[in-house]
Amino acid sequence: MSPIGPLLLATFLFCAGVYGVIARRNAVLVLISVELMLNAVNINLVTFQNLLYPGDPAVTGQMFALFIIGVAAAEVGVGLAIVFNMFRNRASVDVDDADLMRW
Amino acid sequence: MQIDFIAILPEIILTVTALLVLAADLALRGDAKQFVNPLAGLGTVAAIIATVALWGSERVTFGTMYVVDDFAVLFKLLFLGTLLAILAISWRYIAEHRFFQGEYYFLLLTSFIGMLLMPSSRDLIMLFIALETVSVPAFVMVGMRKRDLYSSESALKFFLLGVLAAALMLFGMSMVYGFAGTTDLVGIAAAISGETASVPLLLGSVMLVLVGFGFKISAVPFHFWAPDTYSGAPMPVAAMLAVASKAAGFAGLVVVAFIAFEPVADVWGPMLGVLAVLTMTVGNLIALQQRDLIRLLAYSSVAQAGYILIPFGLARTGPGAAVVNAAAIEAVVFYLIAYAVMNVGAFAVAIAVERRTGLRSIADYAGLSGRSPLLAMGMTVFLLSLGGAPLTVGLWAKFAILEAIAVDITLFGIVLAGFLVVNSVIAFFYYLKVVRTVWMDEAPAGLPQLQPGFNLSAVVVVLMVGTLVLGVLPGLVTDFSSVISIVAAG
Amino acid sequence: MSNFEQWGTLAIFVIVGCLLYAVIMTVNRIMRPSVPSPQKLTTYECGVEALGVGWAQTNIRYYIFAFLFVIFDVEAIFLFPWAVIIGDLDATTRISPVFALVAMFLFIGTLLEGLAYAWKKGVLTWD
Repeated sequence: MSPIGPLLLATFLFCAGVYGVIARRNAVLVLISVELMLNAVNINLVTFQNLLYPGDPAVTGQMFALFIIGVAAAEVGVGLAIVFNMFRNRASVDVDDADLMRW
Repeated sequence: MQIDFIAILPEIILTVTALLVLAADLALRGDAKQFVNPLAGLGTVAAIIATVALWGSERVTFGTMYVVDDFAVLFKLLFLGTLLAILAISWRYIAEHRFFQGEYYFLLLTSFIGMLLMPSSRDLIMLFIALETVSVPAFVMVGMRKRDLYSSESALKFFLLGVLAAALMLFGMSMVYGFAGTTDLVGIAAAISGETASVPLLLGSVMLVLVGFGFKISAVPFHFWAPDTYSGAPMPVAAMLAVASKAAGFAGLVVVAFIAFEPVADVWGPMLGVLAVLTMTVGNLIALQQRDLIRLLAYSSVAQAGYILIPFGLARTGPGAAVVNAAAIEAVVFYLIAYAVMNVGAFAVAIAVERRTGLRSIADYAGLSGRSPLLAMGMTVFLLSLGGAPLTVGLWAKFAILEAIAVDITLFGIVLAGFLVVNSVIAFFYYLKVVRTVWMDEAPAGLPQLQPGFNLSAVVVVLMVGTLVLGVLPGLVTDFSSVISIVAAG
Repeated sequence: MSNFEQWGTLAIFVIVGCLLYAVIMTVNRIMRPSVPSPQKLTTYECGVEALGVGWAQTNIRYYIFAFLFVIFDVEAIFLFPWAVIIGDLDATTRISPVFALVAMFLFIGTLLEGLAYAWKKGVLTWD
């Protein structure tokens, strides 16, 4: 199997994530976009591992993906807590409203 | 695989301390909760002893993932010393402001565990875990004043930019893995140098990995979070972000750039050099206009990151590169040590002033010399040292960079040196402005004398003495750093 | 080659399906009478009229539970590689089974302290 297909999928997901981070105003949607980017990375790693380096006894790429999944869960937990705290303080999750400090 | 437990003893001690701190916080009630601070301090001292015992040996464990050499030990001592200072300056501040004390110390220790991992990592996975272990507790600590609008806003900005930088870095790492077939840094270097022609995709991935570290050290296109986060966060946390977290970013950058990406140093070297110029110029120019002391320190720390990036700009490949690169690493390490001493000191004084009065604009420092001569002296020494005045360690730190440039003089090196000198002059304007306010301006009537307390005074005195002693005898540290850097480059 | 033949069959199915859909809908549009009325545009032509907006806030308590579930659920992925290899360990392998067992219990113990923390802070009670 050629790695082109999965890599294209990963690139598309990554670009969609970057677009979401830049274009979205809702903090929760920005968080979801970042998750898309991390999943693109996971697809990349697993693809490389399985199609290019299948003989590696340490399955490095897949282990890396496992660690990314674990860390991403922690990041999302912390991120949701921060967004939720922001919502309690000013009843908005719009990142453009976070403008108390400039320069 | 036998695990070398002696090599990871400092990390184990800190981990056990962190878990004990969390348990102690659950057991203690009310005022007794503040005694988790000395508990954390004891753990830190034990970790320092375990680290000092590792000096001079070279241990490799977890396969080849984790290397404890003198380079790593020096960085670990820098982090643990900073941790001790930050614990001392947080005690009263955290106890008085009714923070979640146990959680604060737990998160602080966890973040420092990540930092200890950073200079020893020789594997992309390990570097990623270390970087996230530094970042994620820091996100929470910044937002710790839950009902404060500034705190929650700065936490949101810090978090969103942080995870974005982490995601970009991970994408670069995954492409590097796809190229090299290994996440081992030495293996990556071998795979890259085995390539005859340059691969554009690989170079792009290398840039993405460097972006992740550029965020941690707040280099210029990625510096937007720094001033907002420093001014919104509780002040000991700001000190930790400005000093320890930044030093950890630089430790990771040294490891990944000079070991894994060393064969393409002629590509990232000039790029980081340009970033260095941008970072110090932008940081200094914006710092000139600040009225709030913390924001001034934040932009000054951005500018200092620019100075520390200069040696990276000198990196190169080919014959004779090893000498230049070793000199560059040496300059980075020496500057980071000097920077930690003087910047933690400046934050300690700012905490002492803000703790009683809640004042933090530069105008509020008027007449500080009358209200507390010790703090005024300390502020003067630290700011002059940050500017690079004679008789302070800051001057020798800048000399170390110039020395690294002088190892093999190139046109680019001369340009970098020129920017360093011009920026140092600009920086003196705003440092001296604060010093003048402290000594010359009249204090507003009715402000009480400042009683900084034993811990804060001790930290200020020790760091002040350190700044001056190293300013007279820089050999105390340069001897160490010249020993280690060759090991790291080899 | 047989690969391409299968894809060709699929392509024919897709094309025929699209054509069939287009033809049926066009014939439908041509033949049916058109009698618009406002009644036909309401959400339900019979039954109770919907009030308010479609968005509802979920109780924030669910967030904590969902969050705790996600954390412990995801940490469980580290158990899988461990569970796969622990059966193959014996005295001859580089890692002894006792060491692997102790290491995993340390990991779980760390997680349990987190759970104890949440419990003590009163997160696990409903009100």
